Amino acid sequence: MKKKHLFISFIIILLLQSCSSQIVIKNPEIPELLIERSPYEVAVIYPESFDNFIHEEKVIGRKSWKIDFSDSNKMLFNKILTSYFEKVDERKEQDNSLNSYDFVIRPSIDAIEFSVPEQSQDETFAVWIRYRIKIFDNSGSEIINWPISSYGKTSTSIFADEQDLGRAAVLAMRDAAALIILQMEKSGNLIL
Amino acid sequence: MHTITLKNYILSAVKIIFLVSLINLSGCVTARIEDNRIGDTGISEGEGIVILAKSYHLGNDTETDFIKCVSSNVSSGSSSIRVVPTNEFKNTLFPWFEPRTAPSDTDGLARLLARGKVSNMISNANIKYIVWLDGNTDSAGGGGTMSCALGPAGAGCFGFAWWQNDSKYEATVWDIENSSNEGNISADYSGTSFLPAVVVPIPLFARTQSKACKGLSDQLKVFLTG
Repeated sequence: MKKKHLFISFIIILLLQSCSSQIVIKNPEIPELLIERSPYEVAVIYPESFDNFIHEEKVIGRKSWKIDFSDSNKMLFNKILTSYFEKVDERKEQDNSLNSYDFVIRPSIDAIEFSVPEQSQDETFAVWIRYRIKIFDNSGSEIINWPISSYGKTSTSIFADEQDLGRAAVLAMRDAAALIILQMEKSGNLIL
Repeated sequence: MHTITLKNYILSAVKIIFLVSLINLSGCVTARIEDNRIGDTGISEGEGIVILAKSYHLGNDTETDFIKCVSSNVSSGSSSIRVVPTNEFKNTLFPWFEPRTAPSDTDGLARLLARGKVSNMISNANIKYIVWLDGNTDSAGGGGTMSCALGPAGAGCFGFAWWQNDSKYEATVWDIENSSNEGNISADYSGTSFLPAVVVPIPLFARTQSKACKGLSDQLKVFLTG
């Protein structure tokens, strides 16, 4: 009887697995940014979700997809900010030393969407990530509130759907890095 | 005994020839390659090129495999040219050759090279030309019917199907030092693939993409060496 239950459980797990796909992005390998450094010292406060960000979505009538970003969003922002600013410290929300920095930066994620070939009717995977960056001066006033809509697209390869969607997500993160630097440079002379 | 062995050898040889013929069978492909030279080109010993896909933000969807194929063909064989790997180039110059930030014209390239770090990095890598690839391979206009069945006695298919393959690519060559467009090469390959089946389906693919890769790479070598 026990064996029968085990066999049924195995079949159910097998069926469930075939109806969902999981992608884990542990290290997006964002390269060092080739930019001129800004002379400011900043503190960055990450939301708790950045330690283990998971996005799950079910494609209507198809299987569900789960993208586990792990702490790769933190890695992305650390790379961008340390490339751009002279000094970057990670701080918690209630830290008393925040007013000793030139700026306090709070990044977050507003939304993530993706499309798979069954939806887009072409041989591509696409990922959209909408980040939000808020920058505060040392008196605590919000001086910048940017939505950063990034996009990554890859063409399909044989038997590697998870990899393709993962690559599209990494491309979207690289796109975010490019957008953030363009925005920072644009506003560099005005505000920062 | 000796006769049986010889007969087996002959049979094996016939089987191998049949299999190799099946693998090598392909549909007919028509090809057109044109180049449009604007400036004078030439590449010295040690100088290299980088091959990149035009941005998907501009509506381009050149396949990654095609870029790899052209890079590999240009960097090998006779009159080979040093090709800097695409990912290495993009990572070294990150984020300036991402789909959103890559220059879309030579004025944009000149603006990008005004950044000291970017121009230093490119000149240290001794890269003379950027080759932008644009285009893709499409399958369309198919027809025919085919049905397959599986039973206790075995499986088999019967029918006939065909479809059109079109590979259209363009390579645009930019001189980095002068921030100028040196010209472009277009490759247009089309063919019809067939799939007849009497029990066993025999695919006769028109390999337009691989032929376009070979044709474009050979012409690119001639174009760059001047």
